[in-house]
Amino acid sequence: MEKTKPSFKSLFIQNIYILSAVLVIVVFYFINPSFLSLYSIQNMTTELAPLLPMACGIAFVLYAGSIDLSIGAVASAVCVITGLNVGEKGNIMILYMLLFGVMIGLINGLLVSKGKLPSFIVTLCAQSIYRAIAIILSNPHGGGSKNIPLKQRVVVNWATNKVLGLPILFWIAVLILIICIIIERKTAIGKSIFAIGANEKAARMAGVNVTLMKICAFILCSVGAAIGGVMYTYKLKSSVPTIGDNLYMMAISSVALGGTLFSGGKGSALRTLIGVLTVTAISSGMNMAGVNPLWKNVVYGIVLIAAVAINSEKGGRDLIIK
Amino acid sequence: MEKELLFKTNNIGKIYGTNTVLEGINVEFHRGEIVGLIGENGAGKSTLMKIIAGVENASMGTMEMHGKPFKASSMLDANKHGIGMVFQEQSLISNLSAAQNIFLGREKDFSTLGMVNWAKMNAAARAALDKLGLSHISPSQKISDMPFAMRQMVEITKVLDIVSETANDKALILLDEPTTVLTDEEMKILFEQVRMMKEKGNCIIFISHRLQEVLDLTDRIYVFKDGHLTGEVETKDADEYKLYEMMVGRETNGEYYVSQRQTVPTDDVVLEVENLAMFGSFKDVSFKLHKGEVLGLYGVEGSGKEDVCAVISGDEAKTEGVIRVNGKEVKFGSPSDARKHGILSVPRDRRDEGIIGILPINENISVSNYGKNATAGLISNKKQIENAKGWIKDLGIKCEGPNQRISNLSGGNAQKVIFARVLDSECPILILDHPTRGVDIGAKGDIYSLIRDITEKGFSVLLMGDTLDECLGLASRIIVMKDGLVTAEFDCPADNKPDQVEVVQKML
Repeated sequence: MEKTKPSFKSLFIQNIYILSAVLVIVVFYFINPSFLSLYSIQNMTTELAPLLPMACGIAFVLYAGSIDLSIGAVASAVCVITGLNVGEKGNIMILYMLLFGVMIGLINGLLVSKGKLPSFIVTLCAQSIYRAIAIILSNPHGGGSKNIPLKQRVVVNWATNKVLGLPILFWIAVLILIICIIIERKTAIGKSIFAIGANEKAARMAGVNVTLMKICAFILCSVGAAIGGVMYTYKLKSSVPTIGDNLYMMAISSVALGGTLFSGGKGSALRTLIGVLTVTAISSGMNMAGVNPLWKNVVYGIVLIAAVAINSEKGGRDLIIK
Repeated sequence: MEKELLFKTNNIGKIYGTNTVLEGINVEFHRGEIVGLIGENGAGKSTLMKIIAGVENASMGTMEMHGKPFKASSMLDANKHGIGMVFQEQSLISNLSAAQNIFLGREKDFSTLGMVNWAKMNAAARAALDKLGLSHISPSQKISDMPFAMRQMVEITKVLDIVSETANDKALILLDEPTTVLTDEEMKILFEQVRMMKEKGNCIIFISHRLQEVLDLTDRIYVFKDGHLTGEVETKDADEYKLYEMMVGRETNGEYYVSQRQTVPTDDVVLEVENLAMFGSFKDVSFKLHKGEVLGLYGVEGSGKEDVCAVISGDEAKTEGVIRVNGKEVKFGSPSDARKHGILSVPRDRRDEGIIGILPINENISVSNYGKNATAGLISNKKQIENAKGWIKDLGIKCEGPNQRISNLSGGNAQKVIFARVLDSECPILILDHPTRGVDIGAKGDIYSLIRDITEKGFSVLLMGDTLDECLGLASRIIVMKDGLVTAEFDCPADNKPDQVEVVQKML
């Protein structure tokens, strides 16, 4: 049988995520050449570190064809809990927060897969709950952000120390990226999640444990969000109850910019990395260009719609909008 | 008697990308005749139909209708010219009523000031249905509440109504495998109706994989192979054997079901069900499946055989009874539980429940058994692709390679991939739910040999045949169901198959 060559147009669309990253970087470089200075790059890697695990995490839920809107709120709650306790309890808080993430993912996953509830609703409610938890816990401390007391900061300072010129937080994020790549390419869990997103009925009939695999996807997602929250505490050295308000938009935009199909079944963590780079570049570039930060969410909103519109498979008869 | 020419094509062709799927087709259709189109899946019949019906554009060539050049820009346009098509895959909207579907897009005829007069529409639908002798279908009944066969009749009613409205008995009606889900009774009504339309001067084009139907119904037959028109024959000069030869270009003999390789069942019982019941569907079903046996399960649609399969494959829950695998009682909550006990199915609805469309062939094969290519929990993609290459070669799957998307394969080849999946899973008990539905003759033959191969290797098969002939031909024993109960069991040794009439008596 003859091979059908992909058309130029489809090649262009498949690789547009790289173009968009390059374009963003070039534009900001011309606006302000110091955008690519060593200092600025170090800054951006610190910016990028918490976002990467969150984006890689939620990507699993998107591969499975669902959505998780709670990741920003989970990051806020985790950031507050870590910030308020890490000074006294020490780095063991990281482990507690990972377990907290597993628990949240388990609850979301059970409600979606066993309870047969739409993931949109379940995680919208979860968002509301964890955001409130973040604020309630902050209230006795004045309601807003609270810095980790100076003499306790020694516990968290290691995270922003530099190895090979880049902060440790960044290297941890890279490690998590590698783990995600291994999960999605090399494990039955990852492959099953893709199969479910591509055709849930067929995956079920083929003997894939759909319930369990969906729960796994939600756990990976919430753990990613928890890691992001912890990283923000270590990066900012304070607890910020509103940190997550923008984050889920940024994380979802990153995944979309990487070309992951929102109908499920297609995407990769490496592509998500490019998306995260683009989003971080937009964020940092706008800061350096002196744009009012309030405009950032307008930009992310437009970017998300544009990215999804370009990547979605409009021709497929199997397309389902969830 | 020379009949009036209604429609002809001149060198019609179709190219997808660099793939030529249809080339140099010259066919003529006359008023007052029924023309059959046959050929393996992927031979180009459906593509030609879609071009004529305005669903797709031709890449080359021209068409003429009533002697004038004809080109349809859309299906609606073709409808206006008196060309209507009933699709292989149903195109009804399941949450609307029969009447709403029949008049979909034509609601204006029944509306005043934008408000639809439903009573008027239902009355018109009633008339259209009655014309086809479908008095048992209520116009206000929802499509989703209808069995498949009934939906098909509604679809046919819809197309006939649209076309007869404009064409004044000079219509060209395309029926693409309309009979696959119909019962014999419904088929008879459809055939009567088709003949009646022919008498009035319309031309009907009929596509089917069931050659007996084509021989019964048509006046003339075109044969397609690999995108070319390879033959034309007057139906009165043809028989099934001759058509097989023309279609596949290779000799078929009486050993269609490879019955010389039918295994003699051993005494090892691998699967046993006892007094199995599912409320509202079937009850008191008991049977034993032996190692290396093909056990057929047959009955009309709605006899409960589908749900028996669904329960054993873990897709539905039983309400009563016991399932034992190798003598041990098991309980399934999902197909993945069944798989763990060594039971896996080839689902009936390939597109919805079989293939995972946007994934490549190799992922589709490995989805039931990722562990096979893994060491310490990590899957080797290289091994997985090599494994897929092996299956592609063993089963003769026509494709570009293990990384091609499965959705680009023809029905027969996609079904072979599903077979590769269940065999790769190493589950010893296979449930084959209409394994040859929508599969071309060449691939059918391959699947029959494959079933013989695997039973020789000791796999056990529970088979729901697409036709009684197939079920009897393949099975070494057959269980007949009617209205949710087992009514008979026949031994089917290779040299002494039971009489079909006898079996049918137990079914109806």
